[in-house]
Formats: sequence, C-alpha cells, structure tokens
Amino acid sequence: MLIIKDLHASVGDKPILKGINLTVNAGEVHAIMGPNGSGKSTLSNVLAGRENVTVTSGSIEYLGHDLLALEVEERAREGVFLAFQYPVEIPGVGNVYLLKAALNAQRKHHGLPELDAMEFLALVKDKMKLMEMNESMLYRAVNEGFSGGEKKRNEILQMAVLEPRLAILDETDSGLDIDALKIVANGVNSLRHPERSMILVTHYQRLLDYIKPDYVHVLAGGRIVRSGGPELAHELEKQGYAWIGNETTGQEVSSGS
Amino acid sequence: MAIAHYQSEFERLGSLLPWQGSPQWQEWRQSGWARFAAQGFPTTRHEEWKYTSLAALEKLALSCAPVAAEAPALTWDSLQARAVLPQARYRAVFVDGHFAPQLSRLDGLPAGIAVRPLSTLSAQDSIGLQAALEAVRTRTPFAALNAAFMAEGAWITAAAEASLDDPLLILYVTTRGGQAQHVVNAYDLERGGRVAVAEQYLGLSDEPYFVNQVTGVQLAPGAQLHHVKLQQEGERAYHIGALQASQQGGSRFESHSFALSGAFGRNDMETALLEPGAAVVMNGLYRVAGREFQDFHTCIRHESPDCTSDEYFKGVLDGSGRAVFNGKIVVAQDAQHTASRQSNHNLLLSDQAEVDTKPQLEIFADDVKCSHGATVGQLDEDQWFYLRSRGLEPDHARTLLIDAFSLDVLSSIGHAGLRAAMDHLMRGQGHV
Ligand SMILES: Nc1ncnc2c1ncn2[C@@H]1O[C@H](COP(=O)(O)OP(=O)(O)OP(=O)(O)O)[C@@H](O)[C@H]1O
Ligand SMILES: [Mg+2]
Repeated sequence: MLIIKDLHASVGDKPILKGINLTVNAGEVHAIMGPNGSGKSTLSNVLAGRENVTVTSGSIEYLGHDLLALEVEERAREGVFLAFQYPVEIPGVGNVYLLKAALNAQRKHHGLPELDAMEFLALVKDKMKLMEMNESMLYRAVNEGFSGGEKKRNEILQMAVLEPRLAILDETDSGLDIDALKIVANGVNSLRHPERSMILVTHYQRLLDYIKPDYVHVLAGGRIVRSGGPELAHELEKQGYAWIGNETTGQEVSSGS
Repeated sequence: MAIAHYQSEFERLGSLLPWQGSPQWQEWRQSGWARFAAQGFPTTRHEEWKYTSLAALEKLALSCAPVAAEAPALTWDSLQARAVLPQARYRAVFVDGHFAPQLSRLDGLPAGIAVRPLSTLSAQDSIGLQAALEAVRTRTPFAALNAAFMAEGAWITAAAEASLDDPLLILYVTTRGGQAQHVVNAYDLERGGRVAVAEQYLGLSDEPYFVNQVTGVQLAPGAQLHHVKLQQEGERAYHIGALQASQQGGSRFESHSFALSGAFGRNDMETALLEPGAAVVMNGLYRVAGREFQDFHTCIRHESPDCTSDEYFKGVLDGSGRAVFNGKIVVAQDAQHTASRQSNHNLLLSDQAEVDTKPQLEIFADDVKCSHGATVGQLDEDQWFYLRSRGLEPDHARTLLIDAFSLDVLSSIGHAGLRAAMDHLMRGQGHV
C-alpha cells in the first residue's frame, strides 16, 4: 500500500524528516508515537501533499505509484485521507456542501455517477449516526465554532463518507473526552478493512486500547528510532521516551515493519 | 478638450432634450452645465479623486444624444436570463438610455405606487422630480453634467402607507459603444410608504461607453426603501453614479451595491439622517479583475439624535485590479445617541491588485457609539489546502473561499425577495 524510503524533508531550510523508512501493507494499522516536535505532523503533511514541506530526498510509493508526483487533490481522490491535528475553520463554506463536493469529486475521478442531494443526505445521515453527531452540524460552516472534540469527530465523519484507502489520523484522540474517544474509536474500527490501511499518530496508549495497531513506531528527531508490536506502546506509556534513551536523539535502530 | 466636447454636445443637443417649454428645466440644465464647465473633469490633485484617474474617459468623444438612432432588436426573452429579477412582476427596461415599453411591464401596480419613465412625463408633470433631485445635482461634477443632459430614467413614488413589496426591476441595458447616457432615478416615498427595487446596469457591448447616473431618495417619516444597485457593465465601460438620500424620522434606507464588472466605476453615495429614529444600512461588494477599477465614496450624516447607521463593504481584487473605499461618517454636535458601525474588508488575490481604504470619522457629539474597521488580507493557505486535501479542484476551492469571504454581504439584505434574487445571481443554486 505505502512504501516510504529514506525520506528527507524540510520546512524552509530547516530539515525536519531525516530518513524515514516505513512500509504499510493493505489492511494494517500502524501507530506512530514520539515526542513533541519530532516530525509526526510533518510526515502526515508530506503524505497529504502540503506544499510548504519540501521533500529533499527519498521516495514514497502508494498503490504502486509515485505519491509525490500527485497533486494534493489527486491524492485525496486516489484515497489518501489526512485527519488533521488542528482542523481549520472555514466560515462561509457549509459542512454538508464540502462533504458532498468531496465525495462527488472522488466519484467523478473514478468514473462513477455523482450522487444527487437525496442520495447523499441518506448516506451522510447514516454515517453521522455512527459518529453520534447531531445532524445540525451538517448545516453549519466547516468546523466554525466547533468544540475541539467536535472538530475531531467531524474529521472522522469525512473519513467515513470518503472511505479512503490510506487514512492518516494525526492525534485524532487529543482533546476528546472518554465517551467521545470511544465513539471515534468505534467509528474508526468500523472502517477497518483488508483493503484499507491506517496510520494513527498519537501520544496516548489509551487510543490503542480501542484501536489495536499491528505495529507501533517511535518517531524522534525526524527518524523512526524504534518499531515493534502493541507492547511497545505499553512500554512507552510506563517509561516515557527517556527509556529509549539516546536513540531519541536520532540514531537509527530499526525501522519499517 | 473634454469640456469642449461636452460643450458642443450641449449646444448641438439642447433642443432635443425634453421639456423645452419649461423655464424651470431650462434653468436646471443651464446651471448644471455651468457648474460642470466651471469644475471640469476632476483630476487626481482633487482630494476626492486622489486615486481615481479620469484621463481615459476624458479622451472619449461620446455622443450624449437622447434619441436612439435606431431601436436595437431586443426581446425580454433574450434579457430574462441575465436579469437579477427574471420573474419580476413589475419592470422598467431602458435600452441605450431609452425607455423600452415593449420590454417593460408596469401595469397593475399596487394602489398609491407609481413608476414613471421620464420620457412619458409632460413638462408640467415632470417638475415634481426636481425636489427629489435637488440635493444630488450639486453633489459631484458628474451629477452636474447629468443635470445638463438628463433625459430619461424612472420616477418612483409611494403615497402614504402605499407598499410595493414585490420588487421592481429597473434595468438599464447598453447594447452599443460610443454613447454617454445621463439617466436618473428618483424615489419619493411619503409617510409609511414602502418600496423594494433592484436597479441593474447591464452592459452588452464591449466597446467604450459611459453611464452617468444619479439617484435621489426622499423618505418621509416611517418610509422604507429597499434598494439594490447592481453594476454589470461592459469590459470597457465607465459607470459613474451619485446617490443622495434624505431621511426623516423613523425612515429606513437599505442600500446594497454590487459593482461586479466594468472597466471603471465610481459611486458617490450620501444619506442624511435628519430626524430621530432614521436608520440606514449602506452595504456593498466590489469585485475587480484584469485592469478594472471601482471606487466607492460614501458619506453618512447623522444630523439628529437617535439614528443608526450600518455600513459594511467588501472587496475582492484580482489581477491588476484596483479599488478605493472611502467611508465618511459625520455625527453632528446634537446627534446624541448615534449608533454607527462601519467596516470594509478586502481580499487581495494577486500581488498586482491594490486597494486604498480609508474610514473618515468626524464626530462632534459626545454620547455616541461609533465603530469602524478596515482590513486587507489574502486567501488563507490553510483553508485552501484543507479543501484540496478533500479532493476539491484548486479553482473550485478558491472560488468557495472567495465566495465565503464576500457573499456574507447577501445575508444583510433585509428584503427576502431581493436577498433571494441576489443570492441566486451570485452563487446559483450550488452552495449550501
Ligand atoms: N511552518 C514551519 N516553520 C518552521 N518550523 C516548522 C514548521 N512546521 C513545523 N516546524 C517544525 O518542525 C518540527 C516538527 O513539527 P511537527 O509538527 O511535525 O511535530 P509533531 O511531531 O507533530 O509534534 P506534536 O506532537 O507536538 O504534534 C518542529 O520543530 C516544528 O517547530
Ligand atoms: Mg503534530
């Protein structure tokens, strides 16, 4: 599904990612943990195609194609979805309008007929039940005035509607109360599928209690300094990153899966 | 040179202008001409025209003839799709500055409401117009020029408590270049009278032409005018407008201007709040692209206590487009308890685009609530990225964000029919 090889990337002239290697196979869930500022969101942004991050070397293969050759919107239509750590508010653009435009852009890209308003509403209402969201959110502007938790739920709603092949969830658990965390986790779990892969960026073991990852990676100093199974997350929860010690300063240990 | 051209037009056309027999109109035209001739075309040395160059307009030798050489073959069917009120029950359509009865529909107006094209008025009947236009004719050099040449337009009157709630469409269509049209709109609303109207200026010619229009508004106590002005002029067109309103106690004037296209646009708009309880909403949106230019000079005069004014203008500037917004608020010394808000927000879409925005507050009363603010910003990269990351085309995402920025002006249109019409025109059906 996704093969990242020796990826280096900078913001401005500041190198942030310094040799990422990561392979995610179809159906797998990978968790990425790591200290603040280590480059987790930067990696997520590179996958989504953010222009202010410059890839200086390395490659990313997605479904057998060069992901870096695709425009932002092409990646989205090909099934890459990033749930943002900080979803932006867009006053004046209706939430339901965006959802419908996004879904129809994707369907058109795949040669499918666009959904009409009735068909679309039936679909989106179904997904909202899953996320236990109030329908009135549909008719508000994108994220405008949403609480932190509502924004995160709205991201997962978009994901549920768009049914991506590769979903990257950047700290979707941050800012969620305990009940909301369960709802979001249920939503995510319901989207697990042998053809769908997920990358969960998180700081907390708690999310991983609900969404069992196949692999856990530690990203520190722009590199993946350790990879393991779910037990690695438990270990980190108990001992913190200091436990990995000097490795967090950037020496590569094992990477990929 | 320009003065000389208009001078010879004035001499050439004098006898063709309407109401020849009337000494009052003779005097009106002569004094208008004298005022214009004395001032000439304003230059950028003139404070009010500092950013606004008329050099290109001055070079054009445009015909001011009030009579059509030949009537263009237009049908309502061909215009309807472009009309802001395509289903208008009442409409007055003017083509190249002339009333077109075959395109208009003014029968069955509500009791107490009259809509009279100037060309249908006798000299005697027309004199009443002067009251509504008296204040505006000295407002700018071009209003004075209009006074000299004006031959056509619409005079709308509402008797006490009469109401025209089904909005009237006044459509000025220009089909050919080379002409200068001097048209007027006059609104006289008596006590409690109520009128909703959309004035639309639609250019169907890509050649240079000049629309020089004035609007006079008189609102008696409790009268309400809901007014939309829409400029969709041709790509080489000049549009200059002057509006002057006077508002008595408890009257309400809602003015929504949309300057959407045309090479050059200038609007001078002023209202005087003369008695307690008068309220004005003066909103607008200007959009420029290419080398277009739009200029709004507005002035709200609080002459009396307990009046409110709300002014909200937005601008979207692309290409090498330029715009000017100058918003003057004057609060007289005894206009206590004035509530006045003004804002002007601009979105710059290119490095070459430019806007000059200036609030100008002159407050002589002490117990007032006045606020103002102006901003100039750019498209938000994070928002743009977010929309594209959901699969939207870059252009689609951009349009959505531009509309999101600018079209909140629509929600402030108080008259539901006018709001729906503008909403439809500005964004079609698509956006939720
Ligand atoms: N636009 C930018 N300009 C300058 N530095 C940036 C920019 N964006 C990111 N950085 C820097 O890149 C580094 C990695 O940031 P990133 O957001 O990827 O970290 P993170 O691992 O997601 O952290 P957190 O856990 O706090 O979300 C940080 O040092 C950050 O300050
Ligand atoms: Mg982050």
